[in-house]
Amino acid sequence: MVDRFLKDSDLAAVTAAWARDFRVLAPVREGAAIVYRLFSEDMHPFLLRPPTSSAKEAILPQTENLFTYKYRKDQDDLTRTEVFLAEALPPEPTLILGPRPCDARGRHLLDRVFLERGVIDPQYKAHRAATLFVTVACTSMQNTCFCHWTGGAMDDESGSDVLLHPVTIGGVGGFVAHAVTPAGEELLATLPEATAPMLEKLAERRAATPEPEPAPDLSDIAGSFLAMFDNLDFWTDQSARCLSCGVCTYLCPTCSCFNITDENYGMSGRRLRTWDTCMSALYTLEGSGHNPRFSRAHRLRNRVGHKFSYHPREFPEAATAPSGLEFSCTGCGRCIKSCPVAVDIRQIVLDVLAAAAEKAPDKVGGTK
Amino acid sequence: MNANNPYIPELATIIETFDETPDVKTFRVVLQDPAKMAAFRFEPGQVAQLSVFGTGESTFVICSPPTRMEYLQFSVMRVGELTHRLHTLKQGDPIGLRAPLGNHFPHQDMRGRDIVFIGGGLGMAPLRTLLLFMLDNRADYGNITLIYGGRTPEHLCFKDELKEWAARGDMRVELTVDTPGEGWQGRTGVVPAVLTDLAVRPENAVAVTCGPPIMIRFTLEALGKLGFKDEQIVTTLERRMKCGVGLCGRCNIGEKFVCVDGPVFTQAQLKGLPQEF
Repeated sequence: MVDRFLKDSDLAAVTAAWARDFRVLAPVREGAAIVYRLFSEDMHPFLLRPPTSSAKEAILPQTENLFTYKYRKDQDDLTRTEVFLAEALPPEPTLILGPRPCDARGRHLLDRVFLERGVIDPQYKAHRAATLFVTVACTSMQNTCFCHWTGGAMDDESGSDVLLHPVTIGGVGGFVAHAVTPAGEELLATLPEATAPMLEKLAERRAATPEPEPAPDLSDIAGSFLAMFDNLDFWTDQSARCLSCGVCTYLCPTCSCFNITDENYGMSGRRLRTWDTCMSALYTLEGSGHNPRFSRAHRLRNRVGHKFSYHPREFPEAATAPSGLEFSCTGCGRCIKSCPVAVDIRQIVLDVLAAAAEKAPDKVGGTK
Repeated sequence: MNANNPYIPELATIIETFDETPDVKTFRVVLQDPAKMAAFRFEPGQVAQLSVFGTGESTFVICSPPTRMEYLQFSVMRVGELTHRLHTLKQGDPIGLRAPLGNHFPHQDMRGRDIVFIGGGLGMAPLRTLLLFMLDNRADYGNITLIYGGRTPEHLCFKDELKEWAARGDMRVELTVDTPGEGWQGRTGVVPAVLTDLAVRPENAVAVTCGPPIMIRFTLEALGKLGFKDEQIVTTLERRMKCGVGLCGRCNIGEKFVCVDGPVFTQAQLKGLPQEF
C-alpha cells in the first residue's frame, strides 16, 4: 500500500468528506481536556496531543441500549399485562480520528473479553465491525507513557486502520498517511501520494527519536501478584491515597466492566449497558449487605491484579509484551495522568515485584 | 438463552406464587413460547437471571429439578429493589428469564455415594433442586441425609416438603432452629453442632452445603473434624452479578467468574482461588 500525504490545512475538509460516509468522532479541545465529539463542519480536529479520554467509546459506548421493552394492558382484562421486547438498533458506520497507538491496541484487549472469552457479545461485535480507527503516531513519550512495558510503541500499527505520522516539510505541516487495512486504504484513496523527500524526512525524524528507558522485566508479575494477594497491609498502603473516584477505569482503553440497568418511562423503557468501575464499593455490594471487596485496598488490588495477573493467566497463549505476557494494559498512562491523587500503577507493579522477591527470593517466578 | 443475543431475556409468565417464610416467596414460571418451554434443558444448580422490566434483573437458582419440567421454580428473599418489586408480582404477570447460566452440581460424580445436605435459611433453595433430582433417581445414590436449620420454625423454607421427606423412609431429615417456637419438635441449635452431634461418616460420602457465610464457615470446620476431605465438600457461591455470561466483570475471583465457572465449587477448588469471598 502506498503512503499518502494529508496536509494540516486539508484535515478539516478530508474529515468532512469522511463524515459523509461515517459517523466521525474527532478530538476537540474543551477547556483543559481533549475529548471526542461528533464531527461537524465547523470543528477543527485537534491532533497535537493525545486525547484525554481513550477511544474505547467508539466500540464500547459509555451508555447504550441493550433492548427496549413495552408493556401493554390487556383490553379485555385490565389486570393483565403483556410485555414486548425490541432489539437495539445496529450501530452506524463509525470512524474515530485521533486515537494513539496505545488506544488502537486496546481494541485487541477488548476483543479478548467480548469476542474470545466465551460468549460473543453481539453488540460489541457489531460496533467493532462498523468502526475504523484513524490513529495518530506519537513523536515523543510523555512522562506518564509506558506503552513499551506492554509491547507497544509510539508507531505501533496494530489495531489501526490508518496510521498518521506527523511530518513537517518545507514549512508545511501534515501527516504521512499509512493504510494498515484495506478499509483504511479506501479512506485515503483521494489523497496525494507522499513524496520521497517526505518519506525521507519521516525516516529521519523516526531515527532521531530517542529510545525510551528500557522496560523493567515483568515476566514474574502474574505470580508475584498472587504471592502478595493476601498481604492486605501492602494493599492498604498502596491504596491509602485512592479516592475510589474511578477516573482510572473510565479513561482506560482496556477497562471493559459494565453495569446493566433499566430506565423506565411509564409503560415502556429500555435496558442499558453503561461503563462501570471496579473502584466503586457498589460494584460488588450484594443484596445481603455482604461485599467481597469492601475496602479501597481490595478494589485497587483487583484492578492491578486484573491487568497484570488475571489477564495473562486467562490468556496465556497471547504474548505481546517484552516479558512474554499479554497484559490488560497498553501503557497509555491515562490512569496516572488523570488520577487526582497521583496513584501510579507502574510504581505499584514494581512494588509488587520487589515485595514478592523479598518475601520469597527463590520462589518467585512463572506465570501460573 | 436467546441464541443470538445473550442479553435479551425469554418472556415468561408467573403461574403460581406463595409465601415460604415472612420474607421468602416462591414463584413458579413457564416460558410463554410452549416450544421453548418443551425444549428447555438445565442441570441442578444452574441459575437464571429474572427480569422485571423497568426495575432490572437479578440472579436466582432454579430450585425445581430438571426431572420436573411443568414449571421452573424460584424462591426469592425480599432484600433489595428488584426482589421487592418481584414480590409484588402475581399469577399471570410477565417476567423475563435468561437461563440456564453457570455450572451445576457434579451429580454424575455423586452416584453410588452417601449424600449429606447441609442447609441454612434460603440456602435450602439450591439444595432442593439437587435433592429432588436425587429422590427422582433414588436408586442411583446411597444414604441421603438432610440437615437444615433456620432462625425460627417459620423461617424454614419448603415446610410441607420437609414433612414429606421426613416421612419417606428412604432419607433422614434433621431440622434445627436457633429460636424454637411453641410446638417445635425438631432440634434447637446451630447447623454445624447438629452435624457434629450426628457424627456423619465421611467414607464414600459427599457433603453439599449452602447457607449464610457464618454457617458455611463453621460447617466446613465441623466437616473437616469429621474427616471430610476438601474434594468431598461441595458448595455454591453468592456474588453480585449482572450479565451472567462472564463479561461484565464484577463476579470475578481472580481470573474465574462465578457466573460461568461457578456458582458450584468444591472446597478444594475454592482453596485454589485467591481468597476474596
